[in-house]
Amino acid sequence: MQVSTQVEVPVPPPELARVPLVANNRPLGWISDAVARISEIKTPTWWWIAFGISFTMMLVCFAMIAYLMSTGVGVWGLGHPVMWGWAIVNFVWWIGIGHAGTLISAILFLLRQRWRTAVNRAAEAMTIFAVMCAGIFPVIHVGRIWLAWWLFPLPNANNIWPQFRSPLMWDVFAVSTYFTVSVLFWYLGLIPDLAVYRDRARTKVRQFLYGLFALGWTGSNRHWSNYEKAYLILAGLSTPLVLSVHSIVSLDFAVSQLPGWHTTIFPPYFVAGAIFSGFGMVLTLLIPIRKLCGLEDIITKRHVELMCKVTLATGSIVGYAYGMEVFIAWYSGNPYERYAFWNRAFGPYWWAYWIMIACNVVIPQLFWFRKVRQNMLVVWILSVLVNVGMWFERFVIVVTTLAREFLPANWGFYAPTWVDICTYLGTFGLFFTFFLLFMRFLPVIAIAEVKGVTPQADPHHPLGGAREGGHHG
Amino acid sequence: MSAHAPSPPLPPPLDLSRWRSLPNRLIGIGAVGVLLGLVLNPLQFGYSWLTVFMFFLSLGLGALFLVMVHHLFDAGWSVPIRRFCEHLANLVFPWLLIFFLPIALLAPKLYGWMQVADPHADHALHAKLPLFTRPGFYLVAVLCFAIWTWLARRLRAASLAQDQDGAARHTLRMRRLSAGGIFLFALTLTLAAILWMKGLMYEWFSTMYGVYYFAGSVWMTLGTVYFITMVLKRTGTLAPVLHEHQFYFIGSLMFAFTVFYAYIHFSQYFIIWNANLPEETFWYVLREKGTWWYVGLVLIFGHFFLPFLAMLRIDLKLSFAWMTPLCAWTWVMHYVDMAFNVHPVLHPNGYPFHWAWLDLACAALMGGLLLRAFLKEFAAHPPYPVKDPRLSEAMGYVVVHPSPISGGDLDEVDELNGAVEPNGGTR
Amino acid sequence: MSESVSKVYGLIAEFETPAATMRAAEQLRDLGFQRWDVFSPYPVHGMDQAMGLKNSKVGWFSFIGGATGYTLGMVMIWWMNAADYPIVVGGKPFFSPFSAFPPSYELTILLGAFGALFGMLFLNRLPRLHHPLLKHRRFALASHDRFFIVIETADPKYQPEATRKLLESLGSTRVEPVEE
Repeated sequence: MQVSTQVEVPVPPPELARVPLVANNRPLGWISDAVARISEIKTPTWWWIAFGISFTMMLVCFAMIAYLMSTGVGVWGLGHPVMWGWAIVNFVWWIGIGHAGTLISAILFLLRQRWRTAVNRAAEAMTIFAVMCAGIFPVIHVGRIWLAWWLFPLPNANNIWPQFRSPLMWDVFAVSTYFTVSVLFWYLGLIPDLAVYRDRARTKVRQFLYGLFALGWTGSNRHWSNYEKAYLILAGLSTPLVLSVHSIVSLDFAVSQLPGWHTTIFPPYFVAGAIFSGFGMVLTLLIPIRKLCGLEDIITKRHVELMCKVTLATGSIVGYAYGMEVFIAWYSGNPYERYAFWNRAFGPYWWAYWIMIACNVVIPQLFWFRKVRQNMLVVWILSVLVNVGMWFERFVIVVTTLAREFLPANWGFYAPTWVDICTYLGTFGLFFTFFLLFMRFLPVIAIAEVKGVTPQADPHHPLGGAREGGHHG
Repeated sequence: MSAHAPSPPLPPPLDLSRWRSLPNRLIGIGAVGVLLGLVLNPLQFGYSWLTVFMFFLSLGLGALFLVMVHHLFDAGWSVPIRRFCEHLANLVFPWLLIFFLPIALLAPKLYGWMQVADPHADHALHAKLPLFTRPGFYLVAVLCFAIWTWLARRLRAASLAQDQDGAARHTLRMRRLSAGGIFLFALTLTLAAILWMKGLMYEWFSTMYGVYYFAGSVWMTLGTVYFITMVLKRTGTLAPVLHEHQFYFIGSLMFAFTVFYAYIHFSQYFIIWNANLPEETFWYVLREKGTWWYVGLVLIFGHFFLPFLAMLRIDLKLSFAWMTPLCAWTWVMHYVDMAFNVHPVLHPNGYPFHWAWLDLACAALMGGLLLRAFLKEFAAHPPYPVKDPRLSEAMGYVVVHPSPISGGDLDEVDELNGAVEPNGGTR
Repeated sequence: MSESVSKVYGLIAEFETPAATMRAAEQLRDLGFQRWDVFSPYPVHGMDQAMGLKNSKVGWFSFIGGATGYTLGMVMIWWMNAADYPIVVGGKPFFSPFSAFPPSYELTILLGAFGALFGMLFLNRLPRLHHPLLKHRRFALASHDRFFIVIETADPKYQPEATRKLLESLGSTRVEPVEE
């Protein structure tokens, strides 16, 4: 029998020791207590203030939509030649933000990044609400909203079917699938945690409602076995989904022939940008949450650092794509392409272009420094700037190209109206209203999953009760 | 520990001695074929050589990428395979540089744009001045090789220094090198792919091209890495430090890059197909003529569907009998991909079957030389970073917490009989 | 069995650590119990093997869903745009697998995801509004930090006293009957 050679195993020096995922060696029950506390305590004042503001803004959003519907798209700044203005910018921006949730829950799951457990629930909720905000824009943008059902695969009044050769139809399928699957994934993850809330509930109403949505979950291992498989499959399905959704959004632009839109790198570049902006928004939301809800031991500084690194990586990929676009515009020798990029940088919208470059390419490079990643306030500010930069990226893509088409006779200048601005701000109200309700009534952290990454949850670990030398012995 | 947990009897270590003469035989056969090709048809030799050169360049650059990404991600599992990746990356200098020399010499014949009498009369070329001039071409080559060599050398030097003292500062140094290096890498790889391969049809342009070459390169490198790791496990060289999860992770990465390549290539094709601009479509139109149409189908099914379906099941990524043919298949498909890019320039009507032997000869010569150089380097240094601080993690000694929803039987701590080694330590 | 309200559903044994639970589960598996289960606040890694469970069948539901989605997408688009009411748009073919791919692909994922979620619920016989265990006063800890093993009285190997002794000998800190 072969006895393997005994190898000397170096012990990691302290500066390279891995930081545990749950700080301060918290026990399993503490995790339930810490998360459920947020929903069980008396509603804090800050929550009411935040909710009041968000709710008001949401009403503004609805008022703007009502005004638009009753009057027409003329209330926006759209007009020949820029027929896609803020509405499409906001659509792409919000849907981009919605990519981090599924990325964290699916791709990081497949990559076995265990730190995802602390942030995936909030990120998935963010995804769903962001996609809701995104979905509003294309629908109200069609002008005659009562005909929006033409987007569905139904024959219209003349028995004509929708055209599946148009990327806009692909969008309908991509976004609605994305929304549905994100909700399914989110709900699947919520089932065991709703059971936690049910088991802790002290009032009849809570018992009934959490019990209803927990579907009678008992934590049976026979159930966990199917559950884990379903989770893995959903992760496997969501990974190509998350890549395809923003790829298809990018095809809205790229399959056209317009200079600045038609370029082959668009799909991966949009996906990287979406993940970039999504992580920016996750950081923007979670840094205050971990403070306000006392979750510093679950969402640790290590988690924030890791998210900064994802932001840095995707920001650099976006930078590469910007570089390639400019380079190939020059390389192609196509005068329209060349002009499109010259115009972006030095034309009437030069400020938007340079804000985009500064926020998306330059600023994330600060995340190379540990000192920056460790400073929560700085990370928060930078994450907001990431969001700003990504909004301007979409603005640059949509507006500069349309405002300067092939023929100078077709040129124009686009500016938003107050309705554009208020609708956009109003979607923040919608987003935060839902997010605050989520924070108040549902587990912000995936309780069962975080429990699973602690050492005391591991039957092979001494803290999990393993005997010396492993339990199989 | 072995008394405590009797492991099933291992197969005897693989004996590679009868393969010892393989590199020299390859070199011999290859050299004869290459000389014959050079005499028969120097132009065809140039394109064949370029195809195979781009193929092996993929291996060097892919390995360099894996090493840098290991440091950037602060990965633990990939420590045992890092050393031979460092050697693969170091093949860039001198060997790949030497292999580039015939291309440098034959460039005026290979690249259509170098034959244009007046570059200012040709708009597509005029636009690309001064990059597409002879000094531009050679300067870019020098720049690329200088950067690759520098990165590969420095990374390996730091890694070897760590073998002596195991200090953390080497790890940090390699991480810093990789941080800057990844930008230089992206830039140089893109330039190389554009000038050496896309430049064959200089009128054509695609922003995706650098990513496209990158995706195929890493895919093929991962196939190679899986194979080498498996051989080194079977010979016993790496067996003591390997764990099941290395194979699982390399296999998963291969699967991911199978999808990534397909995604990249489909996107490039689809966007060009849908916009239907003649200045772009001609590149693919050419590749849909004659037997190139079938080569394209081979790429779709062989580069994507076959490996995709073959690796869909989790447990098959651990089966050597299943994965070995797949690793070989990555080489075949990457060659087909390179041929699809290069050969239509000279053979617009279809794949030059009657010249396939010359490609094989070039591959034998380059492959034999690279193999010999690799084995020499591998023998001269410890087979894995013996004092890397993350080695214990790679071996599964530090108890890595199992994921909450592990989705299978393949987590890191599957068989940690004796998980708590005296010096492994628990957290 | 008596017709009284206090019909016994099974025995519930409480454990403190995942490792203790797993050791007990391995014993029960080897003793050949059929109608028993482990309850834990999170999926315990390796418990499936310890209980002798087979690989989950959720994958089949998802696969069938996905295959249906893709076929449905392709056929729908072909029928709408190439068969029922063909219109020339941009000189493009009426039907092409390329332009029909994105929506069909999305439908694949959509129906595959439905298959995964509803397949899981179906296999677990969920949702259910009532379960004898949920009435048990200590069972709420199963979602908190405790581990439980339940052997049902319906198990052919169940014997009131012997099974209780067995569970105690397996390291349970507390063994109690659960009422139906």
